[in-house]
Amino acid sequence: MEQTKVVLADNEIPTQWYNILADMPTPMSPPLHPGTGKPVGPDDLAPVFPMNLIEQEVSTERWIDIPEPVLEKYLIWRPTPLIRARNFEKALGAPVKIYYKYEGASPPGSHKPNTAIAQAYYNKAFGIKRLSTETGAGQWGSALSMACAMFGLECRVFMVRISFEQKPYRRLMMATWGTECIPSPSDRTAAGRKILAENPDSPGSLGIAISEAIEDAVGNKDSRYSLGSVLNHVLLHQTVIGLEAQKQLAKIGEYPDVVMGCAGGGSNFAGLSLPFVRDKIHGKKLSVVAAEPASCPTLTRGPFAYDFGDTAMTTPLLPMHTLGHDFLPESIHAGGLRYHGMAPIVSHLVKEGIVEARAYDQIETFTAGVKWARTEGVIPAPETNHVIAAVVQEAERAKQEGKEKVILFNFSGHGIIDLGAYDAFLTGKLTQHKLTDEEIQRALKSIEGFPKP
Amino acid sequence: MNNGEQSSKQGEELWMRCPRLGGEAPFTYCLQEAGELPCHRIVICWQPFFPVESYLRKMLSPKKWEEFTARKPKEKIVSLLELIEEAKRKEE
Repeated sequence: MEQTKVVLADNEIPTQWYNILADMPTPMSPPLHPGTGKPVGPDDLAPVFPMNLIEQEVSTERWIDIPEPVLEKYLIWRPTPLIRARNFEKALGAPVKIYYKYEGASPPGSHKPNTAIAQAYYNKAFGIKRLSTETGAGQWGSALSMACAMFGLECRVFMVRISFEQKPYRRLMMATWGTECIPSPSDRTAAGRKILAENPDSPGSLGIAISEAIEDAVGNKDSRYSLGSVLNHVLLHQTVIGLEAQKQLAKIGEYPDVVMGCAGGGSNFAGLSLPFVRDKIHGKKLSVVAAEPASCPTLTRGPFAYDFGDTAMTTPLLPMHTLGHDFLPESIHAGGLRYHGMAPIVSHLVKEGIVEARAYDQIETFTAGVKWARTEGVIPAPETNHVIAAVVQEAERAKQEGKEKVILFNFSGHGIIDLGAYDAFLTGKLTQHKLTDEEIQRALKSIEGFPKP
Repeated sequence: MNNGEQSSKQGEELWMRCPRLGGEAPFTYCLQEAGELPCHRIVICWQPFFPVESYLRKMLSPKKWEEFTARKPKEKIVSLLELIEEAKRKEE
């Protein structure tokens, strides 16, 4: 019988996180404080993060011990299995071996608890009693809720109202774990009240929700704020994924030619890939690919060009040619094509040419996700579908090139709580093609009565 | 079906999976995502499906269009610091 899963025993779980900042081939520019213009220091972040996490945020130590209480919680679902997707391989008919880390095994169903657990622990150790955060569809909010429950912390989650109303299950998960989940904008904060005064029916936004969560944390000495992606310490905590994968691959004598992850804020991508990026920096030959969302269905295949022109280091991970320069003002390229939510570490690695970014539109990602579900069984989270689309593309390339490849990717979460997204895709609710003039006129007429800027 | 319901149903013709929100959202959400301005990703998200840029040029006032095109998203940590300062001011 052929082996499909590679599992580690509890006592084989990594006991340290890996910090890529110790191995960066070129230094990263420190962010500048918008008020002083000076590099951001620990005290600037102290109102929202405990000092033990700030120390990790700026640390350049290569290995950082995972505290015993964090390991105890990790062991509830970690080490996660490394699984070979034999059925998907057959469906693709390409000369590839596909391995994935199944992060959907965690209680909330995603990789997010890897940092939520750590952040809850460090806040508890610092004497904090309550954490606040914002969440969009609720993946992060639910992970932090579980972590806070495990460490006896109160948790308050400001959930963007449009998602709060659309996604009852994640907010019910949060409530079950004891969190107060509040639709944002809310009347709990000055920021929320201001928005509600202007527009009582505001659907909210991530920007409003984060304003409320920060205000909530800053206004109480026993409270702090928690962020589930982007920051260095978040990526650090996620490296447990890649470190486990290295041990698992070593057990079966494999090493990947390509390492892939989907990249929204960058944490699950970084979690799997950074230990392998370390190998690459030290001479190992492999490709590291970040799969991210784009909405341009046809122009994401060719060579990509990136613009890193601004001094704020906001990073474009979308190919400039997807929309073309001919019809857009340059300022929209600067504002619209840059993915300001991306982790600086990932942006830096793309800039250095160590990581390659590829973009996939919503239809091809769901198409890949459905193909996966019908072969491997697990319904992927919609975000995970991005990397599955990238795997499909990589397999196709291998077929065309006639090269055998070992592909490793991070299956960041299952999609059982996101079935509404599949419904939208399967029923054609998501806009799927370039609209005809008639469709455009009809659609625009239909929104005439809606609030506009 | 009354006019309001009909309008609401038709307003949902344009739907997109929002990469920032992690959920599905109608075009009308993108139009007001940043309060007085559309989401900074609205053009890259919607242009492949219809000429949203032309639509925005007509729909926004010249001043708002200028604000929209001049705006640059900030690095996350910079946004955080600005929000911390703003929250501190509200506390005082």
